Amino acid sequence: MSRNRAIDPADAKQQILAYCKRKGALAAGVADVAVLDRVAPPGHRPSDLMPKVKSVISLGVGGQTRGAWTVPAKAMGYFGSTESRAYTIAYGCAFFIEGRFGVPSIYCPPDVDNAFGTRVPLQSLKLHAEVAGIGARSLAGDILLHPEFGYMYFASVFTELKLPPDAPLAENPCPAPSCVKMYRKVGRTPCMKFCPVQCLSGTIDEQGNQVEMHYDMAACADLSEQYEALPMMLSRAAHADDADDVLLDPDNKLFWYKMSVGSGGLLAQCFECMRVCPIATQAPQADPILRLEAAERQAGDEQP
Amino acid sequence: MTAGLSRAQLGVTDAMLHAYADVVFKLSNNLQTRRGDPIRRLELDAVDAQREALGMSDAQIAGRIGLTPAQVTWIRNFAENRRMRVNNFQRLLELGGGRRHREERFVPHEDRFAYSEAALALRESLHFDDELTARYVQAGWWSNQTLSAWLEQHATATPDKAALLSAEETVSYAQLQARVEHLASALYRIGIAPGEVVTVQLPNVPAYVVVYLAIARLGAVMSTLYMPHRAAELETLLAHSRSRAFVCLDATGDFKPPETALALQANDALPDLQQIIVAGRAPAGTHALNELLSGNAGPLPPLPVAADPLLLLYTSGTTAAPKGVPHNSHTVLSNAAAGVEAHALSGEDVILSAPPFGHLYGLYSLHLALCTGATTLLLPAFTPPALAALIAGSRPSVLFAAPAQLIACLHSGAFDAHAIDSLRMIVLSGNAVPARLIEQLGARLPRATLTQLWGMTETQAGTYTRPGDPPELAARSAGRPSPGTEVRVVDENGAARASGEEGELQLRGALLFPGYLRNEAADQSAFTDDGWFRTGDIASLDQRDNVIISGRLKDLINRGGVKYNPRDVETLLDAHPAIQQSAIVPFADPVLGERACCFAVLNPGHEITLDDLCAYLLECGIGKIKLPERLQIVAEMPLTPTRKVIKGRLRVVDD
Repeated sequence: MSRNRAIDPADAKQQILAYCKRKGALAAGVADVAVLDRVAPPGHRPSDLMPKVKSVISLGVGGQTRGAWTVPAKAMGYFGSTESRAYTIAYGCAFFIEGRFGVPSIYCPPDVDNAFGTRVPLQSLKLHAEVAGIGARSLAGDILLHPEFGYMYFASVFTELKLPPDAPLAENPCPAPSCVKMYRKVGRTPCMKFCPVQCLSGTIDEQGNQVEMHYDMAACADLSEQYEALPMMLSRAAHADDADDVLLDPDNKLFWYKMSVGSGGLLAQCFECMRVCPIATQAPQADPILRLEAAERQAGDEQP
Repeated sequence: MTAGLSRAQLGVTDAMLHAYADVVFKLSNNLQTRRGDPIRRLELDAVDAQREALGMSDAQIAGRIGLTPAQVTWIRNFAENRRMRVNNFQRLLELGGGRRHREERFVPHEDRFAYSEAALALRESLHFDDELTARYVQAGWWSNQTLSAWLEQHATATPDKAALLSAEETVSYAQLQARVEHLASALYRIGIAPGEVVTVQLPNVPAYVVVYLAIARLGAVMSTLYMPHRAAELETLLAHSRSRAFVCLDATGDFKPPETALALQANDALPDLQQIIVAGRAPAGTHALNELLSGNAGPLPPLPVAADPLLLLYTSGTTAAPKGVPHNSHTVLSNAAAGVEAHALSGEDVILSAPPFGHLYGLYSLHLALCTGATTLLLPAFTPPALAALIAGSRPSVLFAAPAQLIACLHSGAFDAHAIDSLRMIVLSGNAVPARLIEQLGARLPRATLTQLWGMTETQAGTYTRPGDPPELAARSAGRPSPGTEVRVVDENGAARASGEEGELQLRGALLFPGYLRNEAADQSAFTDDGWFRTGDIASLDQRDNVIISGRLKDLINRGGVKYNPRDVETLLDAHPAIQQSAIVPFADPVLGERACCFAVLNPGHEITLDDLCAYLLECGIGKIKLPERLQIVAEMPLTPTRKVIKGRLRVVDD
């Protein structure tokens, strides 16, 4: 593509990442497609979705507000998250790349793979972000954490534009020193202790690094996928010869998920592990108030 | 369905599910284990080495095991469903989340309390009309008033105030609450759960009140036996109420309730009865009430609410069709709360009930005292000298009594021997109040309020005269409806009768029970199509809507305020070899109001005396209160075409 050859990849990358941050992303980076294709299982590789993809751009937006961490669990279930903001930025970014550089791009669908139920994504946005260097896997079920921004929501953009990839984070912020201290005392980190269904466990070595992370995703999903599913499916079940056949049919389990979203019910995670995570809640710019304070400090430093 | 394909199309068999469900689940991303940080470190060989632990896609599992991807999807979903635990989100909602969460505080749903089938059946019997329910709630008659809340309120506000006064002791509100909590936890520990019925046969002693309030605190339901009740009534009423426990004295004269209950239990006559609790010497297989009271307080179920059933009372002890009257706190406590103001009672009053607490009239006085924080003075067993001496010695301000009781006191001279001038109010109920009684009491207590009250087990306090009404009104009228209650007098077609005209007294209101327990026939005859309760009493209304009771439609014998249906006695008599047919009818008595006369047609060649007849009935387990007190032998009964005795034609000949 002639127009592609005229593009300076490094400059394009800078413009694209600047666009993302200008639109509200806290962090953005480019993942190496070769690594993604190697790690992701067949059917879920970037090239399975976009055959000519050359680069995967991952961006993260801030997670909950500080106030959100103080509310009772029931209210927390209704908070939802800020992922839609990330999706909006990614959607705009795909338009930006095509409009600015003339190269085909897509906003990566963040949805689950309809053929495989509620627990299998089309593409792992987490893998994209990790490889792009804007998050590292935590002991809390591999939720990504960032040393500066804590807990973020991610979105991805696929493009046929070749961009220089970023490296993954050099250090994993998880476990935080206070978590290591607690682990030494009671054998569990806060996320492990306070998980309502005890779906997390793991070990930490003498240097304070993760050795093993165990995550019972089925138990985690049990907690979150049963709350306030809308009654249409129940109505169908009520008229079926065997209600279990309808209620627990694989296709209908996706419906549970969808209806939970529609009703504002708990979805995918209950946030309890993040609520007690010092990185998610206390990283230097983990919430808008901390970011405001950081901006004020920076402005003060820059004054003569 | 998986991707639109049925199980048959996929070829997934039960054998496959059995063989592969576990391994598919373990290989899937439902269970994830990551060692180290291989992706971030770009240690891609390490990623490959732990793919199975990290969790594989269905396609990967299919290739790994040798199944089709769609089969894996179906099997994985089956394994997820098999493992799925419902209601897990309640952990979050109940425990609050964040650092408030403590897993050990969560009780899994399958381990939580569930009402027994008997308890649910009793709850089901509280089928109030929806429109009336809304009306009573919106009008404020029904709120969340419970005995436990009242007790807590007084134990907090006036802990040292006397709640109970008896010959043996004075019990303060704080002490009463402590005893109630102890006993409630002990009852809970031995298996008395919310909703279960506990039958109580005790005299009016402090333990009665403690037991009643402990039952109420548990959210259990009290049923009562009168003290004269014997084996026949015990079996009939405990069986019908499906009582889980029976609380009784060790002996009442020759009658030994614990042994009787144990024998019935052993014969499987009372399959629901699990615990017998004895005030006094407890035989093997029973609990001593004192021991339950002295144990350490343990856990208790959540506080009951006003909609929970509170009482299950019986209007008769017939073996044929016991009429169980369920009440919840809405009906009886709303009626009592309104009664406190209507009777002008206060927390300073000392209230004495001459009738037993086994009768709702006796309980009404207790409800009033507990509502207002007054003191309850206890009379274990009525005799004229005992009542008069207690009034003189403890100086109550309010007396609840049956007219027959006070007539007996006046006739016996008991009130001449003791001062009763502490009484500022006497409430009379149970049978008709003779004008002469009002005159005599008025002369003896010129400043006291004399109140006539009319009520039934189905209603508690239905109508009464009020303080400020002239004494002659109490002599001729049962007063006006209690707050929240409506009455009407109708003819046999249901048309309203004019003022002064007699008809059937009908009632509805916040106090009214919802219907008999497991007795549809009784319900059908007791309620009109538009939901009014047929009292069975003949009455008229005066110009000011005061109710004047003039007779009864029913055949109940009203002996000194204790009403009973003689049908079970007649059934036993009809089985006597000397008797061909019997019928029991009341005859007037100046003291008790009514006594029972037995009419009997004898079989040829037989004779029988009243003593023979009573001995036979006692042997059959009939309580003394139901024994006929006169016998008239007749050649034949007046009969309807269907051979029913026309009792109205039986005339009792004076001695």
